[in-house]
Amino acid sequence: MHDQAGVNRRPGARRTAAALLAAAVLGSGGLWGAPPSRLAGELDAGGLLQTISREKGRVVLVNFWATWCVPCREEFPLLTRLEKKHRSAGLSVLGVSTDFQKEKAAVEKFLAEQKPSFRNYRKKSGGDDQKFIEAVDSSWGGELPFSVLYDRAGRKVRVYSGELEIAAVEKQIVQLLGARATGGR
Amino acid sequence: MRAFRATLTLLAVLGLVSAAAVAEAPAIGTAAPDFQLTTLDGKPFSLASAAKENKAVVLMWISTQCPYSNAYNAQMKDMANAYASKGVLFVGINSNKTEDLVKAVAHAKKNGHTFPILKDPSNKVADLYDAQRTPEVFVIDSTGKLRYHGRITENHEDASSSPDLKNALDALLSGRTVEKTVTKAFGCTIKRA
Repeated sequence: MHDQAGVNRRPGARRTAAALLAAAVLGSGGLWGAPPSRLAGELDAGGLLQTISREKGRVVLVNFWATWCVPCREEFPLLTRLEKKHRSAGLSVLGVSTDFQKEKAAVEKFLAEQKPSFRNYRKKSGGDDQKFIEAVDSSWGGELPFSVLYDRAGRKVRVYSGELEIAAVEKQIVQLLGARATGGR
Repeated sequence: MRAFRATLTLLAVLGLVSAAAVAEAPAIGTAAPDFQLTTLDGKPFSLASAAKENKAVVLMWISTQCPYSNAYNAQMKDMANAYASKGVLFVGINSNKTEDLVKAVAHAKKNGHTFPILKDPSNKVADLYDAQRTPEVFVIDSTGKLRYHGRITENHEDASSSPDLKNALDALLSGRTVEKTVTKAFGCTIKRA
């Protein structure tokens, strides 16, 4: 009755409280009941380039999408399939949502539904659009979906404006994945 | 190349070649291609006439559905109102085949867009200017020359970021040189027929 919060007199009570807290945290997915974000972070132009650079040694497909973009939603499960299939051979897929800050809840909901096997980020709000465009590709202007393919050396190989033709993209990815085995490019 | 493009532009204006043949955006300082379209409320619009009657005309490619374009709805309304008294006419152009007249009218009403909005069937005017995105703006001075092409502000999500369109208009109205004449518009692709 007079116990203060967190002060337990009985030895068993402390263990019980700890177990209850752990269950609550695990059950809700995070402290205070808020589920953890499914986003790996937010990227500005520099952050995007660094993130791609960290994948050097692997073939990288960066896909720009938004929750309001119907073709993006349609191709999203295909990207998961592609990533799972070629992950062990050295493929990394990175998703970047261009949804606005105010749409972050919709992004989380979409990712919770889709359960992508690959990491997803959100384009950081603010900053100069032109710098971000240049970091992605100078031919880009915000249209979605938009994808960029990099080889194992981190060199940009190809950009895809619009919905991906997965079979053609996969063929190119397989070629790039095999490049190291044949002496690299 | 410039002379070739100017010839093509002239021919396009005269209706001797299709607008789609002019695949490049007009260069800054050159004559903006003239065109005639009809406003959403059925009035004829001529760019040449509008340019003569105003200190500047802002052609603004817009969309009813594109979130990037819609993020600027309030700013478009405010700028159009604020610059009307300074002799600048804002004109919206909807070239999206996916957005019909009914949708365009409803969108204008909902957002208080009282400036003229033109429907561009078969995106002929978008082709004439090589407009690719929404929003994307072109500023034309009273002599009919193109003085600015690109985005409204530096960041599509932040209306308070560097106001490139406003800077261009203010420079033009005060007789100063427009410092940044071309920027890259960040937006949705115009859905062409």
